[in-house]
Amino acid sequence: MTHSVDNPLHHPEVEQASFAGYLANFVITVVVMTAALWVVGDKSLSTLGFIGWTTLFAVVAVLVQAYFLLHMNWSKAQVWHTVAMLMFIPLFVVMIGLTAWMFHGLYERTMIAMPPHTMAAPMKRAAPAQAVPPVSQPVPAPKAM
Amino acid sequence: MSSTTDTRIQPGSTVLWDKGDAAGHDILGTRTFGFWLYMLTDAMVYAAFFAAFGVLAHNAGLNSKSVLAAVFNAQGAYRETIALFASVLAYGYAMVALKKGSRSGVAVGTVVALVLGLVFLGMVSGDMERLFGQGIVPQSNGFLSIVFTLIIYHALHIIVGAIWMLVMLAQMGRDGFTSNVVYRLINLRIFWHFQAVIWVFIFVFVYLQGKVI
Repeated sequence: MTHSVDNPLHHPEVEQASFAGYLANFVITVVVMTAALWVVGDKSLSTLGFIGWTTLFAVVAVLVQAYFLLHMNWSKAQVWHTVAMLMFIPLFVVMIGLTAWMFHGLYERTMIAMPPHTMAAPMKRAAPAQAVPPVSQPVPAPKAM
Repeated sequence: MSSTTDTRIQPGSTVLWDKGDAAGHDILGTRTFGFWLYMLTDAMVYAAFFAAFGVLAHNAGLNSKSVLAAVFNAQGAYRETIALFASVLAYGYAMVALKKGSRSGVAVGTVVALVLGLVFLGMVSGDMERLFGQGIVPQSNGFLSIVFTLIIYHALHIIVGAIWMLVMLAQMGRDGFTSNVVYRLINLRIFWHFQAVIWVFIFVFVYLQGKVI
């Protein structure tokens, strides 16, 4: 934050607007998001590879937006905006990361397996169906004496 | 606000709070910074939703593959992405016109951003109608609840931004570029551009990765 100027249009936060920057942001983010969409159609990728590539594209797009759109930089007008963002990042990580970690542990300890069919729609889930013991089969009745 | 604290404060002679007229106080910078903190707090709400999404995605398999394919319509979400990014670019053009003091330039950029924002909203609501028509509704299960919550929460922001643009067009016509109008235009820029950042997360982690988790 800087000292006041008489004409609000000469304020550094007005003057940092740059059409070249906004256009560069548009072109780069559209290209990156197109690449992410293209990866969806690539059947040769493993699930892990797919998640890795799309996450990488998201990170690139967000960094580009942070620089060009949100003006995250160390200039006198923006430094506290940038610092505030940097201090929020651990909060996001804690919020999402700890929740995911906690529930992952919870599911591992409490869930026997995915319920084989709870919804009306037909399901074709090959892998879990083999892993799960056939819950739906009638329990064999005790042999008659 | 000074960011240098090298000099030792002399309690006897230093004025810590200037209670007179706040000469030299950067009103515009203070207000945009306050709004930026609000924006980051709003992002914490999104973080909570994304955390819930990560947890409830465990139950995605409760839905049939056809339901998941209908919800995670990557092509449709990509079109929404382009509309929103173009709207953000148009508002960026308005900000460049503001720098030049061009009232007509700001008005044109804002109107184009508004129209593209409405196009985005039309696509989102069309997508919702299609899903509701197929009986895919938020109340079916927790996984669908959080997916719809994320998408609708973002769409609500776009509605608020669209209303804000209309208000700014009116205020700009009435007052011109007073310092109040200028800081509100800057805050709207922070708000509108932040929605594009959030959308990247929704597009990639919900629409694209939702299919495989």
